[in-house]
Amino acid sequence: MDEESMWKGFYDKLQQQKSIEEQVHDYKIQEVDDSFFEKFGSILKQASQKAALEESTPLAPLKEAEEQDGEQKVEQDSKSILRDSDSGNETLLDTDSEPEEHDKIDRYVEAVGWNVDELYLEVLYEILHNVGGCDVGCEVGQLAMLSYIQEAFKIANDKHTELLTQAEAKEPPELMLNVEVVEAKDLVPKDPNGLSDPFVTIYLMSNPSHRYNTSVKSGTLNPSWEEHFSLPMPGSVQEDSLVLEVWDFDPAETVKEKMTKIFEVKGVKGLRKLMKEIAITASTGKHDNELIGTSNIPLKSIPAGGMNMWYSLSKKSKLRRQGVVKVRLNFSSEKNSQVAAQEHRHLLRIILLHELENSKVAPYWWCGNYSAAAEAILTQHVAQSGLSATDNCLAQWAVYCAVTTDHPLSFALFNILLDKITKPLQSGLINEEDVKLFWDGARKLLPTCYSHIRKLRKKTAGDKTVMKTLKEVLKILYKLSVLDAPESLDLFPVNLYGWLRDDKEKLTIHMVLEQAVIQGASDWFVHILDNNECKDNTEDTRLQHLIRVIQLVRSDLQRAVEYYDRVFVEVMGFPYSKALYGLYESKLASLVESEVVDVCKSLKRLRYSEGSTTTLAGGINGETGLGASAVGSEPLTMGTTLFELYLTLQRFLTLGQGLNETDWQSYAISKFHAWFFGGVAQWLDIAAYKALTRIEKAVDLDTLAPVDTNVKYSSSGVDTLAIFYQIKIFWQQLAWPDVEGCYTFVAKIIDDICRCCVFYSDKMASRVDNVGLVTNVFEERFEVTTDWCVAINNIDYVRQSLTPFVHELGMEEIIQKMCEARSPVEAQRCKETLQNVIANAIDTVRNKIVDLLEIMVRKMMPSITRFLMEGAELLHQDCSSMDRVMRYLEANLDTLYQHLNNENFSRTLEIVWEQLGEVLYELIQANLEHRRAKITRYIDPRRLSKSAAASLDAKRRPPSFFSNLHECLKIMIRSFRQDNKDTYSSETLKRVEYLLKLHGMETRELIHQFHLERWQEQQTIQEPKMGMLTVRAQFVDDILKIEIMNARNLTPADSNGLCDSYVRVALLPEDSFANVQKPKTQTHNKNLFPLYDEIFQIPLSPEQRRLTDGLIHLVVKDKDMFSVSNTFVGEAYLHFSEVPDTPAPISSLPQQLLPLSRPTSIDGEAIKALETRQGDRQARDFVKKQRAKFPSTKQFFSLG
Amino acid sequence: MVEDSDRGYGRTANKSTLLKIVILGEGGVGKSCLMSRFISNHFDDHSFHTIGVEFMNKTIEVNGKPYTLQVWDTAGQERFKSLRTPFYRGSDICILAYAIDDRSSFNNIKMWLNEFLHYAGVKNGIDRYPFMVVGNKSDVSSKDREVTFDQLKQWCEENKIATYIETSAKNDNNVVEAFSMAVQRWVDLEQRAEKELGMLHHPDTVTLHGSSTASNIRATCCSRFSEA
Repeated sequence: MDEESMWKGFYDKLQQQKSIEEQVHDYKIQEVDDSFFEKFGSILKQASQKAALEESTPLAPLKEAEEQDGEQKVEQDSKSILRDSDSGNETLLDTDSEPEEHDKIDRYVEAVGWNVDELYLEVLYEILHNVGGCDVGCEVGQLAMLSYIQEAFKIANDKHTELLTQAEAKEPPELMLNVEVVEAKDLVPKDPNGLSDPFVTIYLMSNPSHRYNTSVKSGTLNPSWEEHFSLPMPGSVQEDSLVLEVWDFDPAETVKEKMTKIFEVKGVKGLRKLMKEIAITASTGKHDNELIGTSNIPLKSIPAGGMNMWYSLSKKSKLRRQGVVKVRLNFSSEKNSQVAAQEHRHLLRIILLHELENSKVAPYWWCGNYSAAAEAILTQHVAQSGLSATDNCLAQWAVYCAVTTDHPLSFALFNILLDKITKPLQSGLINEEDVKLFWDGARKLLPTCYSHIRKLRKKTAGDKTVMKTLKEVLKILYKLSVLDAPESLDLFPVNLYGWLRDDKEKLTIHMVLEQAVIQGASDWFVHILDNNECKDNTEDTRLQHLIRVIQLVRSDLQRAVEYYDRVFVEVMGFPYSKALYGLYESKLASLVESEVVDVCKSLKRLRYSEGSTTTLAGGINGETGLGASAVGSEPLTMGTTLFELYLTLQRFLTLGQGLNETDWQSYAISKFHAWFFGGVAQWLDIAAYKALTRIEKAVDLDTLAPVDTNVKYSSSGVDTLAIFYQIKIFWQQLAWPDVEGCYTFVAKIIDDICRCCVFYSDKMASRVDNVGLVTNVFEERFEVTTDWCVAINNIDYVRQSLTPFVHELGMEEIIQKMCEARSPVEAQRCKETLQNVIANAIDTVRNKIVDLLEIMVRKMMPSITRFLMEGAELLHQDCSSMDRVMRYLEANLDTLYQHLNNENFSRTLEIVWEQLGEVLYELIQANLEHRRAKITRYIDPRRLSKSAAASLDAKRRPPSFFSNLHECLKIMIRSFRQDNKDTYSSETLKRVEYLLKLHGMETRELIHQFHLERWQEQQTIQEPKMGMLTVRAQFVDDILKIEIMNARNLTPADSNGLCDSYVRVALLPEDSFANVQKPKTQTHNKNLFPLYDEIFQIPLSPEQRRLTDGLIHLVVKDKDMFSVSNTFVGEAYLHFSEVPDTPAPISSLPQQLLPLSRPTSIDGEAIKALETRQGDRQARDFVKKQRAKFPSTKQFFSLG
Repeated sequence: MVEDSDRGYGRTANKSTLLKIVILGEGGVGKSCLMSRFISNHFDDHSFHTIGVEFMNKTIEVNGKPYTLQVWDTAGQERFKSLRTPFYRGSDICILAYAIDDRSSFNNIKMWLNEFLHYAGVKNGIDRYPFMVVGNKSDVSSKDREVTFDQLKQWCEENKIATYIETSAKNDNNVVEAFSMAVQRWVDLEQRAEKELGMLHHPDTVTLHGSSTASNIRATCCSRFSEA
């Protein structure tokens, strides 16, 4: 099978298999380890689903309802968990909480000043003198406007009537004195704390009852007011003068008796009343306000164009100067625009507050729509005060900015205003005062904006309104950021921005935005930690906790990416998600790193051992081997959780890589894998252990039925590959970034997979161990079943997967990376190591297959041997046993042939022949050595039939036994050879075959065999030690002509050191040439180099001539005068094939030099075989005769 | 009882026992050189740091029996610790190496021993596991020597390690001997374990051929698969 396609296709097959038949089975395997691999493999999927779920619904603390409940609750929440303190010094404004009562009064007072009545009068006056015919005022009746304004100003009826009368009586002044009280310096302290609470009262000497007061600046000796007043000028400018009185406001005395009332006061209305009372007392000087000093400015001293001057303050009783005050003075025919603007601001504020109070509009919703009456009044005021559109906008900006801190207004409102103001601001048409006013407003607005950004998480992500608001906020920020704020302005006062980092450099709107974003994220991070506390302190829970935290953080980022990022980038060019990520990653890194490193350090080792020979049938509940009890579940859970954390971090990092493609490596979290170094080893261990457990279970469940008709392996093979696949998935998910680690872990994985294969093979082997045994009354025999084939195929299937598996682990890439990271030489070494490991693994598994094949063949051996034995004993009487062995082999080998692949089938045959060879060899040897055969390695003798068992006995066999056996073997091998080669692949079998042939010979054949061996031996003689014989021989028709020419270097046979030699010619085999003469030469005395020169003609019958292995035996003997027999000197052989068949004269033929030799031992196969035939006289005699030819040391000894 | 005396008859020639060996020790003591000398009889003076692990195998004969040694050479540097420890499990023999001209590498052997014991899960105690201590670089001149053979001997006796030797991968001195000794030690311990197991199962008869104990005798016979 093509390995590649097999590997690729197998998973599909697995799926098919699942769907087709064995869902239950599959389930069972997973059950072994609680779907461990499925978890490992699918953690990612689960996690993403989980996260997706979280992302789609706002988290509990993010409920919109909370927002609507008002932010107080948020503040309470934050106070109750005492966490927001962490985000720091939230200022009053910043927390969006209700300001405390006294602050509110202060601000009201500051805004409205002390001359509410004055403003009221003015407004009444304006209402009475409505201008314009088609204006707003037309639609709203005068009365409605009057009652509205009364309500807005909260003026009592009688007072209203009084003022209304005044207004009616009032003539519009023609000349006005515009006074701006700028500031004062070096005031004399009046309070025990060394400071004063100064305010300024101004009035004209001619009209001392009409006083104008500035606001009180508390606790300062250098107050700054910058307040404008317009005083109607009396007739006589020459005599009159302006009086400036600087007072120390001393509420402790005056309010003393009213203090109790403060606590009774309910609502803003009541409080205002109270304060008004206080104000009135203060202005009329009827209390203990202390005068700091007075300055008198004669009106005639003021030039027509106005002046700007410091005046010193004096006090009657004191000589010392009481301080200086700066005023700006000028005359105008109409109301000063700044005065008008200030008035308008006051009016706006009063009306706005009234509107808000009445309409009960929700925070952030009011966007500039007044009631008709209010609209009319404001329009009148603008018109009658001669304010420009820009002035109006600026006034609105200032007021709205101030109000929004207490009562949030729609951000859209500010955007609209900004659009109107921006141009005039940029063109420089607006005076310094108003620019300052604008920025003061901006300064008040900005904290709300930033606060909104910081608290973005309290809103529902993706909600249209939320998105719109955010966009408005960002637009405000953007528009402000393009304007140049005055150098001197501190746009971000520390008291309002407690959460800002204390940077020395001047902050820009962008920088603060970034910090706001980061601060918001930090708060959120803290919030997450608070709401997801660890329930208990086990390592596993702690890890679970970390996973949860990372997932939540990730959800937040996901929201950011999905909804907010675009707006931030579009409007402000600010990479929102990236900023968030930068914060989160460092927080997570510091949170997770130490924890992970600790856990990795303390990981418990898995304790198990896969004893390859121990049967672990107990499975997971067993006591031995892989039993779960031995391992303990804790390290397993821990490892899995740790891996989950790893994957979570990996996902988190991927997000970061997307957000910051260029610089993600600078993130602390980009090195997260290093924290897990200690863990990977554990994971690999767990994976290996789990794999082993699963394999065991898979084998248990395997029915050894092929998965489908096209393949010949069964479920456990598929399961095992599935397990490998899971390990691969695990490895891919791990995506270990460090190349050195990768390399080593891959080596480890391959080694583990090898272990798994070996384990699987062992399991398979023990699974089929008892399969195939057939027992009946006659016999017990082993049949090769498909189970065996499937088992073998399973292992082979798994083995074949190894190479592609390693390929899929990414070995090449790793080596490539190693090459880049280290050096080609080192990469080469690593490559070699990996290749060695793979080769070793494949080799080991192959050997496992061979082992199993050997076991199988060994099981077949008893039957084969038995049939062979019986056949050998009885061949000529009964052919059926030969048939039986053939049938047996045929049946079994056919099964194998059907199911095994070619490689394994031919391997099986080899093993069969090898084992058979060994059994037979032992039988023969034992027979020859006259002992009991030792073949229990292959055959249990009890399994043999009686007659076959008897063949093991030490019993001498007749040659027919061997020849029968030989016949059987030949038939068998011929039948089952795959190739048609004649050579035997097994050396042993070759040898056996030869031995059988030998022992199957009749004695005479054996004798001739001996001669043939001698002849072959003669061919190998290089240096003849016993001399040479020179002959010429030829066949002429059926006549053998032989010329004995001479001999040289004969061995001395006599005591004189010489030899009386002659040559005798005989033809072999003896019985074939019984009737043929055996000529001999003359004896040549005392000559070691005799010249015989005799020609013999030996007529043969045609049959004799045609003998294939005919030999001419030439024996040199020493003629002994005294003894009966002559002494043997040496012999030589000439094979018939060496004799040319030619009619040419013999003298023309080449001389043949034959080395003389003698038999020296009985080591030859033939003579050994003859030796065993003790009962055979012919054999016995022959051996005896040959022994006589052995060299005798005695002879030479006598030579001395 | 089945007669089993003919075990190993005729065909053990191409069947060898597979043994996994790990070499541990301080970086730079010459572990890789030892392996490379043993496997390929080659010495490289400027060899690199081992990255994680290296693997090679070789078949040697000890007492006429073939053993295929799967040698895992490990990286000594601390940063490779978590890369090498996974390989300890399932090893049959552990070689602890130091350099005789480096006292600290000798002093640290104990640490390596403990690391191995922890990660390999050696159950039966040091004296039941084939440890081997190898003092490499025996080629250095005597003035550079910082650890004497007696110190090695003493340390091993104190730590119940029976086999130790000084080698020189550079001069090819005692390298093969070291591996052979280690294998021999394994064989001895294995036989002892079998014997004890035999005693356990048949207290009255001592079987010399406890056929298959838990020893992981795996077979390799590459020759059979040259796949002509």
